[in-house]
Amino acid sequence: MEEDARRDEQMITDGDQEMDIQQAARIIEQARAKARHELRTMHPAIYLAWAVVYLIGYGAIWLSVHGQHPYHAPPAGAILGVFLLAAVALAVTAAVVGRTTSGVGGASEGRRRITYLVLAIGYLGVLVLEGALGQAGASQRVLGIYGAAAPILLIGLVFAASAAAGMDWTAFCLGAWLIAAAALSGFAGPAGVWGVLALAVGAGFAALSAIAMRRIRS
Amino acid sequence: MTDDELDPVIHAPARLRLMVTLATLPEGDTLSFTRLQDLIGLTPGNLITHLRKLDDAGYVQMDKSGSGVNAVTAVSLTRDGRVALDRYSATLRRLLDGVPE
Repeated sequence: MEEDARRDEQMITDGDQEMDIQQAARIIEQARAKARHELRTMHPAIYLAWAVVYLIGYGAIWLSVHGQHPYHAPPAGAILGVFLLAAVALAVTAAVVGRTTSGVGGASEGRRRITYLVLAIGYLGVLVLEGALGQAGASQRVLGIYGAAAPILLIGLVFAASAAAGMDWTAFCLGAWLIAAAALSGFAGPAGVWGVLALAVGAGFAALSAIAMRRIRS
Repeated sequence: MTDDELDPVIHAPARLRLMVTLATLPEGDTLSFTRLQDLIGLTPGNLITHLRKLDDAGYVQMDKSGSGVNAVTAVSLTRDGRVALDRYSATLRRLLDGVPE
């Protein structure tokens, strides 16, 4: 396509037009709004998808364990449900980010790849540590709290750190909120932790989705 | 060019759109020629003509990689380009403030 451009370049006029200052101001406003809209990675659909994962996924686990006396563990079906919802949210994230960042290269692309890598390695670390805690004799109650809160702590830390790199205060606030929710939810006990996190994390992502939507409309 | 004059290199609808679009990217990021074309809505020929004018002024940088059908041109705003656009916007605001509604 670029070769074609060079071939027919001689035939094309410069395209300069007369433009008054009001028109220039309008062009700046419109071009900026369009570019921000088309190139943004902070998309409401992504945050809404993750809000659903936590509200429904963690909520379902809470419903399945809150009647357990004594607490033993969430049923495999409920855990599988969270993973299925997370897979859908990941697919939505990949599709939206892939579309908005198509053709964008440079430093942001590198930062994004490192962020995904940190999340993947971090989540693997969370699972390995959970296994180690179990092997060291940690009770089901302790493992229940860890299994619910540790992934949220990881996501919060990655969110806050990557938001700091991009000076995105809204995303930083969500990261800080997730860290606080993960840290404090443990006090609700091994069953309650799922319910607290379903509401806190779900509401956090839903709020970010609403903020992203409002930014698009403004 | 005085402080009250708009930079003639930027003061054209297509080039102004190009500069503003590239300026929305964080410093250090690039945009491919084809994506830029989608965003601005210019023909390839017109786009390259305007990009060359901006390149000649030192406002954009074009880096080509690959060859043949795999050739990709990455376009970015230079530091001089960002400064020029800021100066253009400031001059425009001053001129607009001086114009009665």
